[in-house]
Amino acid sequence: MSRYIATAAIRGAHKVVRQAEELYADALKTVGPDAKIQFKDKGGGGTAYWLPVIYGFTGQKVETIGDLKKSLEHAKGLLPPLPGEHVWLPYLGETLDAGMATLFAEEIIEGIRFAKGQQPETRNGFTFNGPINDVQMRGWGIQMVDGRMPGFAALLGAAKNNEVAVKIVRELQSKGQLVFLSSSSNGRSIVDQLLESGVQLGYDTFTVPFGTDTISTIYALGYASRATFSFGGVTPGDFRRVLLYNKFRCFAFALALGPMDDVKWATGAGAISYGFPAVCDTAVPNILPTGITQYEHVVSMPFDDIPGRDDMERAERLVQRCIEVRGIKIKIATIKIPVAYGPAFEGEVVRRADLQSEFGGKGGMCFEWLTTRPPEEVEDGKVTVVGPDIDKFEVGAKIPLGIVIEVSGRKMQKDFEPVLERQVHHFLNGAEGLQHQGQRDITWIRLSKNAYAKGFRLRHIGDILHGVYHNQFGAIVDKIQVTLYTEPKKVQELIEKARGIYKERNDRIAGLTDEAVDTYYSCSLCQSFAPTHICVINPERVGLCGAYSWLDCKASFEINPTGPNQPVKKGPCIDQTKGEWEGVNKFVYEHSQMKVDRFTVYSVMDSPMTTCGCCECVLALIPEANGFMVVSREDYSMTPSGMTFTTLMGTVGGGLQTPGMMGHGKYYITSKKFILTEGGIKRLVWLSKNLKEELGEELKAAAEAAGVPDLLDRIADGTSATTPDELVAFLQQKQHPALEMPPLL
Amino acid sequence: MALTGIEIYKYLPKTNCKKCNFPTCLAFAMKVAARVVDITACPDLSAQSKAALESAGRPPIRLVKFGGDTHKVEVGNETVMFRHEKTFYHPPAIMVRIKDTASKEDIAKLVDEVGGYQVERVGMKLTMDGFAVENASKDQARFLEAVETVLAKSGLAVALMSDNPATMDAAVAKAAARKPVVYAATKENWSGMADIAKKHSCPLVVRDSSGLENLVALSEKVAQAGIEDIILDPGVDSFKSSIDSLTEIRRLALKKNFRPLGFPVMTFPGVQAKTTEEEAALAAEQISKYSSVVVLEHFSPALAYPLLTLRLNIYTDPQKPIQMAAGIYEVGAPKPDSPLCITTNFSLTYFSVAGEIEASGVPSWLLICDTEGLSVLTAWAAGKFDAERIAKAVKQFNVADKISHKSIVLPGKVAVLRGELEEELSGWKVLVGPMEAMDVGGYFKKTWKP
Amino acid sequence: MAPLEAPVEKWTGKIRELKLGSGGRKTITVGGGTTLPFVKFEGAQPHRPAIAIEVQDKEPTDWSEFLVSAWGDALKNPGAWAKKAAEFGADLLYIRLASAHPEASNTGAAQAKKSASEVLSAVDLPVIFVGPDVAEKDNEVLVAVSDVAKGQRVGLGNCVEKNYKTIAATCMADGHVAIAKTPIEINLAKQLNILLSDVGLSPDSILMDPTTGALGYGLEYTYSVMERLRLAALMGDGMTSMPMICTAGEESWRQKESKATLDVPQAWGDNQERSLIWENVTAISLLAAGADILVLRHPKTVVTVKAALDKSF
Repeated sequence: MSRYIATAAIRGAHKVVRQAEELYADALKTVGPDAKIQFKDKGGGGTAYWLPVIYGFTGQKVETIGDLKKSLEHAKGLLPPLPGEHVWLPYLGETLDAGMATLFAEEIIEGIRFAKGQQPETRNGFTFNGPINDVQMRGWGIQMVDGRMPGFAALLGAAKNNEVAVKIVRELQSKGQLVFLSSSSNGRSIVDQLLESGVQLGYDTFTVPFGTDTISTIYALGYASRATFSFGGVTPGDFRRVLLYNKFRCFAFALALGPMDDVKWATGAGAISYGFPAVCDTAVPNILPTGITQYEHVVSMPFDDIPGRDDMERAERLVQRCIEVRGIKIKIATIKIPVAYGPAFEGEVVRRADLQSEFGGKGGMCFEWLTTRPPEEVEDGKVTVVGPDIDKFEVGAKIPLGIVIEVSGRKMQKDFEPVLERQVHHFLNGAEGLQHQGQRDITWIRLSKNAYAKGFRLRHIGDILHGVYHNQFGAIVDKIQVTLYTEPKKVQELIEKARGIYKERNDRIAGLTDEAVDTYYSCSLCQSFAPTHICVINPERVGLCGAYSWLDCKASFEINPTGPNQPVKKGPCIDQTKGEWEGVNKFVYEHSQMKVDRFTVYSVMDSPMTTCGCCECVLALIPEANGFMVVSREDYSMTPSGMTFTTLMGTVGGGLQTPGMMGHGKYYITSKKFILTEGGIKRLVWLSKNLKEELGEELKAAAEAAGVPDLLDRIADGTSATTPDELVAFLQQKQHPALEMPPLL
Repeated sequence: MALTGIEIYKYLPKTNCKKCNFPTCLAFAMKVAARVVDITACPDLSAQSKAALESAGRPPIRLVKFGGDTHKVEVGNETVMFRHEKTFYHPPAIMVRIKDTASKEDIAKLVDEVGGYQVERVGMKLTMDGFAVENASKDQARFLEAVETVLAKSGLAVALMSDNPATMDAAVAKAAARKPVVYAATKENWSGMADIAKKHSCPLVVRDSSGLENLVALSEKVAQAGIEDIILDPGVDSFKSSIDSLTEIRRLALKKNFRPLGFPVMTFPGVQAKTTEEEAALAAEQISKYSSVVVLEHFSPALAYPLLTLRLNIYTDPQKPIQMAAGIYEVGAPKPDSPLCITTNFSLTYFSVAGEIEASGVPSWLLICDTEGLSVLTAWAAGKFDAERIAKAVKQFNVADKISHKSIVLPGKVAVLRGELEEELSGWKVLVGPMEAMDVGGYFKKTWKP
Repeated sequence: MAPLEAPVEKWTGKIRELKLGSGGRKTITVGGGTTLPFVKFEGAQPHRPAIAIEVQDKEPTDWSEFLVSAWGDALKNPGAWAKKAAEFGADLLYIRLASAHPEASNTGAAQAKKSASEVLSAVDLPVIFVGPDVAEKDNEVLVAVSDVAKGQRVGLGNCVEKNYKTIAATCMADGHVAIAKTPIEINLAKQLNILLSDVGLSPDSILMDPTTGALGYGLEYTYSVMERLRLAALMGDGMTSMPMICTAGEESWRQKESKATLDVPQAWGDNQERSLIWENVTAISLLAAGADILVLRHPKTVVTVKAALDKSF
C-alpha cells in the first residue's frame, strides 16, 4: 500500500463526508426531513433500488432526507482518523474503509441534490445523464452477463487533448466496453472534450456522461451494485457478495485522466473494494496485486512517457493496458483477410497449376515457432514482415519462411507452447487458397494464385493467427504478435534456433515423469459410450485412445475448466510399484458412477484401468506363456489368447475393469512405466506385427533400457504364433525372458 | 462377489480343448465372468471347481428357452439393471392372448394375422413371438381344439394357459414339439403343473399376485421339484406396481444373487386397459422395465409396430450402435437435380441428417457410407470415413446415374477431406455442408449450388 | 418364510425441486424424487411428472391431419390454442415461438411480446417459452418475452452452449427458469448446468432438456442418457440433479410413422392409431427413464399418459 495514496484517500474521504454532513444539515432546514429522494436519469427513468450503493451495503431503503441520518452515521463510522505526519504506517483496510465512507457520502450528496432538484447536472446547455435507469441497466446487464459487453470503463477527468479523448473513447467502444464519464481536471471535463469534438453521448452510443464533479462517479458504482441484485441474486445488505460479484463478473475499471486529487483517490479507494482497478495517465505510485482486485490495484502510465509514434498510438496503448489490468478477454468477431475463412476450406488442395507461392516442402525451408514473452514485449495484433513479400517473387517460387508467434498471457505456460503451436496447421488451413501441412521445421505451405489475386499477402497469415488464437485460446493467451521472415539468412538463423527449442521440448517431454508432477488429468470424453469409464492420464502414460497426452489435457483444462479434462490430485501414494494413489482412487470412484473403487496405473493383474471403446491396443494375459500379448486395433487376425482384437475389445470395453486385460495407447508400451508391477516390457511375449514395425526404434530403446537389447526378436507376432501352443514353442526356442520370470498366476 | 475372468480361469482344466466352443480356456473364462455363458459349458470341470464356482459361474437370471424349430424364443439371462451398464441381451417375447371361447374362425383369423405379421425397420424384419392360448371356457376339448388351430396355422411359440393339470397335460402333449410355456403353477396346483413341465421339459410359469414373498415360496417349491426353467408372473397388470415389483425382482436376482427370483418375468399389460392406447402404454413401460414375456390382449399392426420398435430400441447394444445399410437413400422424392449429401452409417447420424433434410422440405439424395456404425467425427478420426471410402461408396451405388449434376455435400466437420475427395472423384465438385445437421435446411436454401 | 428384505439402494442425492409459475399464475412443482422413477420401495417421488401441451405462435404448416383435426381453428391463434390446451388437461403449456424462425416469418421481439401476452392473459397455467432454436433469434425473442412475463416464473429455452449466457442473465433478472438443452450426452448436460451456475443462475432454476429421440429415432440414446443423469443425481451429483423435460410430442409427430398417410406399408396399420401410439410409447418409456415434464401434442395422448400417471401414484 502506498502511503502517499492512503493518506490522500483518507484526507479525501474526510472532505467528502464533511461536505455530506453540511449538505444534510442544510437540507433539513431548506427542504425538510420529509422531502423525497428519488434517483432519475434525464429522461425520467428511475430505479427501484433507492440509493443503490447504500442499499446494497446496509439494506437501508433511503426514501427521504430524514432517512439519510442513518447513512451518514454509517459513513462516519467507517471513516478512519486522519493520518499524522510521521508515525503512521499505511494500512490497506483503513484506506478501503475510507473509500467506502466516501461512496456513502457521495451517494448522500447526490440524494440531497435530487431532493433539491439539482440533478441531473446541466451545464452550458448540456444536460448530463445522471444515474442510469433500471430498464437500461437490465438491458446492458444481460449483455454483461452473456459476455457481449465485458464491463464498463469509468473515465475521470480530462485527457491530454480533445483528439486523445476521442481516441480513448473509440478504442474502448471497439472493445465493447461501456463508457461512463465524470469528474474534471483543471476545470476541464472529458465530457467537454467529447462534445467539442462532436461525439454523440448517450445510451445509444454506450457513453454515459454523469457529471463534471468526482462525486457523480458514484452513479457508476450504483449501476454495479444494482447489477448484483438483478443478476447475482444478491440480497441487499449482503455487501460482501455485492463486492465479490463485481470483482469476478463485472469487468470494470477506472481510467483517471489528468492530475489526481484527494477526492479522486478517495473515490478510487471505494472502487477498489468493488474489484475495480484504476489506471492513471499521470505519475503516481503503483499499487501491486494484493487480492482486492484481480491484478494490480493502481497502475501509473504517465501519458507522454508511453512509447508510441504519436498521441494516438499512446492512447491505444493506454487502453490496451487498462484491458490487461482488468483481465478482459478480447474476441475477434471477424478475421480481416481478403479471402474467405472457415472450415469449408480446410481440406482444400492447392495444385501445382494454381500455385502462386510455396513455402517449405522438398528443398525448401519453412518453420513455425510459438514462444512466450513477457507482456511488455508483445504488442497485440502486431504483424511484421521481415524481408520481401510474396509480390516480390515470381509465380510458383519457393520462398523461405519463418513464422514466429510471440504470445503473452497471465495463464500462459511454457508447456502449452507445443500444444498451441500444433494448432497452426488447423488455423491456416481454414483460409481459402492456403494449404498447410506438417509442423515445426517440416512445415509446408502453398498459396493459390486465386488467393494472391484477391490480395492475400504474408501479413494475413499473422492476422489469421492473431484472431483465431484469441478466439480459441483466449483463456490462456492475452496478446499475440506475429513476425514473418522471408530473408534467407534470417530464416536460416532462426530455424537453427527453433530446432534447438524443438529438441528442448522433446527432452522435456521425455524427462517428464509421473513422479515430477502432483496432478494427473482425467478424460471423460468416452463416457457417452462407456459410462463408468474414466481415463486418468499421466505424463508417462498417454490416454488409451492415444490422442491425449498429459500436456494436452493440462492445456485443455485451462481453456475449458468445466470440460472433459479435469485435474486429478495424486494424493498420498498407496503403492509406488503398482501406481496407486489415494487421490486417484477417490476421483475414479466418484467419476465411475461409484462402480470402480480403486485402480492402479502400472499394473494389469490388480485393478487395472478401465477401458472404453477407443483404445489403440489391448493387452492380455497369456497364462501358458507367463506373459502378455498386445494386439493393435489395425490387426484383425487371431491372437494366441484365442480372441481377436474385436472379441478382446468386447471383453474389456465398456468401462469394465478386467484384471489380466486392458486397453491402452500404443506409446504406453515404450514407457518406463509399462506394466511395471508385472515386470515391464520383458513380459511382452506377443505383439501385433504392425506395432513392431511402427514402434521399432522406440521399442528397441525400451528393450535396451530393460537390459534385453534383442528382446524384439524374441517377441512373437501373428506370423509366428496364433495359438498358445505355437507361442510357447516360439518363446522356448527364442529363450524369451518371460519364461524365467516369477509365475503370474 | 463376482469373480474375475482370471480367478475363474484358475479353476479351469487349462487344456484349451475347445469343447466349450471357445478357442482357449481364458476366452471361455472371460465369457463366464461376464455372466453370459454358464460354467457348466465346460465338461471337464472337477467337482471341486464346480462347487467353488457354483454361484459365480451361473448367470443370476436364468436363460429360458421355448418355442419350436420354426421360432425359438430365448428370454432372461440379463446381467444389468440398466442397458447402459452393458446391454440387455434377450428381448422380451411379445405374444397375443387367444381365448378358447372365441369361435374357431376368429381364432384362425387372429393366428393368421399375428403369425404372418412382419414389419421392416432399419433393414431388420420384426415379427411377433407367439400366442398365449387360454382355456377360458374351462372346457378341455374346446381348449385342445384351439391349441390345434394355433399350432396348425402358425409356427410361432405358444404358452398354454389353464389351471387344470389334466387339461394342461393333454394340451402340452399336443404342443410338445413346440416346447410350450406351461401357464401356470399356483399355490393350489403347483405340484401337478410341475410334473407336467418336468415330463415334457417345458418352462413353467409360477404365478402369485399376492406379494413377492409368496411368489418366492412358490418358485422355491417348484425348483425343489426339479424344475429349472421357471418364468415368474407376479401379477402386475397396472401401472400401480409394475416398475416397483419388477425392479425389486431384478435387483434381488442381480444384486443379491437371490435364486428364487433369478428368472425371467411374464406380464399381461392389457388386462385392465380400457383402450388400445392404455394397453400400449403399459406394454411400453414393461418392455422398458424388466418384463421378458409380454402378452397382449389385442393385436393390430398399429399396436405391434411401435411396440416391436421399442423393443428393438431398448435392446440395442449401447456399445454397438445400430448401423444403417450403406447405400443411396431418398429423402422426400428427390429428382436428378436435387442435392446429394453424404454421411456415415451410424443410425443416429442418419436419423438426424435425414430428419433435418425431411424438415427442410428440400428432397435430397442421402448417400450412406459404411463407417462401421461410427458418427462423422469419430469415423473420420478412426480412418473409416475418408476420401477413399466415400469415393468407393459413390461408385459402388452408382450415384452418378441418379443425379444430373456432379456435386456432393460433405459434412462440415470433415471439410478437411475436400481436397482429397476431389482427387479421388475426378470431375466432381465437393461442397462443404454445415457443421450440424440442424443447419442443413438453411444451407440448402442459402448456399447450395450444384 | 422370512419376509423378503427389499433391495434398497442407499441413494445420497435427490432430484432438485423446481417450481414454475408465480405472481398470480398457478404454480407447479416437479422433481424432488429420492428414488428411481416409480420405484416406491426405496424412496419418495413427492411430485408426479407434469404434462405440458405444445402451443405455437403461428399456425403450423406441416402438422399431421390428426393433430390438425384434434385442435381445429385453435391452431390459428396462440391464445385460443392455449385455452383449449388448458381444457384438454395440460398441467402447463410449452409455447414455441415458431414464427421467429428465419425460415418461417422471421418475426422478432415485438411479435414475441404480443404472442406471449396473448398466451399469458388467456390462461393461468404455468408456461414455458421456447424460441425457434436458432441461437441468436432465441436470444432476441426470449429476452423480450422475459420482460413481459417478469415475476411469473416462466421457463425460457432453449439454452445451448452458444447462447446460454443471455438466457441465464434474463432468467436471473426476471426470476425465470432456464431450459438447458444438450445433444443427448450426459457430460455435455452436466457441463451446461455448471456453466449456467457459473454465470450465477441458481441450480434450482434450471430444467434439463436432454434432447428427445423419438421411438425408432434414437429413443434409446435419450433413454439411457436420462437414466444415467438420474442415477448420477441420486448418487449425489448436484450438477445432474435438475429435473428433465422431454419433447416427446414434437419428436414423434415429425417422424414419417406419424406423418405419412400415403403409400403407407400395410404392416404399419391404421394411420391414426399408429400415430397416437407412437407418441404415447415414446412418452411412457421416457417417463420410465426419468422425465419430469413431458411435452405432448395430441389431446388423446394427454389423456392416456395422465391415466397412466393417475394409476402410478
